Amino acid sequence: MERMIGIDELRPGERRSVFVDDVPALVIRLAEDSWHVIEDVCSHDGQPLTNGDISDCSIACPRHAARFDLRTGKALCMPATEPIRVFRVEIRDGAIWAAP
Amino acid sequence: MTAATADINRIGFSSEIFEQFLASRQEPAWITEKRRAAFETYQTLLAEELDPEEFKRVDLRIFNAARFRPFAAPTDPSAVSALLRDRAEFGGSIIHRDGHADAAMLADSLRAQGVLFGSLAEFLSSHRDLLEPRFLQQAVKPDSDRFAAWHAAFWTSGTLLYVPRNVEVALPLHSLIAHTRDGVADFSHTLIVLEDGARATLLEETASASAETAGLHVGCVELIVGRDACLRYVQLQNWNEKSWHFAHQAGCVGSGGSLQWTAAGLGSRLTHIHQDVNLEGRSATAEVNGVTFAGNRQKISWYTQQHHRQQGTRSDLLYKQVLRDDARVVWRGMIKVDPAAQQTDGYQRSDALMLSDDARCDSIPGLEIEADDVRCTHGATTGRVDREQIFYCMSRGISRKEAMHMIVEGFFRQVYDRIPIEIVRETLSRTVQSKLGIETTGL
Repeated sequence: MERMIGIDELRPGERRSVFVDDVPALVIRLAEDSWHVIEDVCSHDGQPLTNGDISDCSIACPRHAARFDLRTGKALCMPATEPIRVFRVEIRDGAIWAAP
Repeated sequence: MTAATADINRIGFSSEIFEQFLASRQEPAWITEKRRAAFETYQTLLAEELDPEEFKRVDLRIFNAARFRPFAAPTDPSAVSALLRDRAEFGGSIIHRDGHADAAMLADSLRAQGVLFGSLAEFLSSHRDLLEPRFLQQAVKPDSDRFAAWHAAFWTSGTLLYVPRNVEVALPLHSLIAHTRDGVADFSHTLIVLEDGARATLLEETASASAETAGLHVGCVELIVGRDACLRYVQLQNWNEKSWHFAHQAGCVGSGGSLQWTAAGLGSRLTHIHQDVNLEGRSATAEVNGVTFAGNRQKISWYTQQHHRQQGTRSDLLYKQVLRDDARVVWRGMIKVDPAAQQTDGYQRSDALMLSDDARCDSIPGLEIEADDVRCTHGATTGRVDREQIFYCMSRGISRKEAMHMIVEGFFRQVYDRIPIEIVRETLSRTVQSKLGIETTGL
C-alpha cells in the first residue's frame, strides 16, 4: 500500500489530489473517520473529477454531472455508465494508505 | 466540501535550470538572445492554462518535469536498436544521442550540389543569413503554446536538411534521435527547407536504448516546401513506454508544391503532437498519413490542422489507430479554409480499431470554412474486432494471434498503400507484428 496523506493534513469536508500507482486519485475526508480514495478521472469523458460537488457519499463530474458512489465507484446517473476505480483504504500510523 | 488545488510546479523548468543550460552552450550571441526571448515567453505561458480545446483530453497530472534535465556532456556512442537504420541505403544520415548530434554523413555528390545536411546547431552558426529567417520563424512560432516556447528556449540539437533550387535528392536521408540515459530532457529540432523545384525524402525515427530509461522529448519539426518542390517526410516515434513526448510540428507548402507526411506513434508513455499543415501557395497539396499502435497504459494524442490559405489547394489526411489493453488515443483534427482559399479540396479521416474493453479512443474531426466554393469532407470511425472474423480464421486452422494480426494488418493496409517507401511500409508492418506479440526476425 502507498502512503497518501497524514490524518492531520485534511479536515472533514476536505479533499486532496494524490497519485496511487501513478494513477491520479483523490483523497476525500467526508467525516471524522470517513475516508475515501477514488480514481480522479470521470469514466464518461476521461477528465478530472477533482473539484466536483460531493453529496450523499457521491461525487459529481463538474462538466456533465455524471455522479459516482464514493464507496463502490458505481456510476449513479447518466451520462456515465461505467464505474470509476476506488482504492482500498487503511488508516494506520497516523496516515491514510491506499492500494489499487 | 472545499475544492482541491492542482500543483503546477511539476510542469516546467525554472530560470535556474535555464541559466545552467545556457552556461553549458557555446553559441553565437544572436542564438542566446533568441533563447532568452523564448524563455520569457515560456515563463508567461507557463503561468497560463493550456488551450482547453487542444489539451482537455490530455491528462498531464502525472507528468513531472523535475525528473528530467538536459545533459551538458555528450553520451558515449552506444548501440541503439532502431527500426529503419541499416535497413536501406541512405544518401546521408545523422544520429542524435541525448540531445547531442554526432555521426553526420552526406554523400559527396549531394554536398557538391549545395545540399546541407547535418547538425542544425553547426549550420545555424555557419549559415546564419540563410537559416535565421526560417528557424522558428516561418512554420512554428515560439509563442504558439507552452511547449513550443519551452522548446525554443531549450532546443538542444537538431537536424537540418537544406536542398537548393531544382536539386533532387534521390536517395532518402535518415535521422535517428535516441535516448540512452535515464532522466534526459531532449529538445531536438528538425528543420527542412526545400527551395523551389527541389525534391527530397527524410526518414526520421526515435528510439530508447533500453526499456527502463525514462526520457522527456520536447521536439519541433519545421518543414518548408518551396514552389513546385516535393518533400516526403516520415517520422516513426518509437520511444520506450517510460518516455514523455511533446512536439510542435508544422509544414508550409508553396505554390504547386507537395508534402507527403507520414507520422507513426508507436512508443512513449504519453505523446501529444500538435501537427499543422499550412497550404500557403496556389495548388499546394499535402497528404498526411498517421499510424498509431498503443498498448498497456500508453496515451497518444494528435492535434492536427490542415490550413488552406490559398486557392486550389488540396489536403488529404488519413489516420489509423489501433488500441489494446488500457491505452488511450485522442485525435482532434481540423480543416480550416481561409476566405481566399476557393476551390479547396480537403479531406480528413480517422479510424480506430479497439482490441480490448478498456482501451479508449476519442476522435473529433472538425471543419472551419470561410470560403463558399470548396469541397471539404471528414469522418471518423471506432469499432471492435469482429469476433466472427476471428472465428472464421480459426475455423480454417489459423491461430488466434495470427488471425488478429491479419485483421490489424488489413486495417492498416489502407494507410500503408499510401506510403510509397517500401522500407517504411515493411518496418511498420513488422513493428505491428512485434507489438501483437508475434515473433519477428531481423527487426
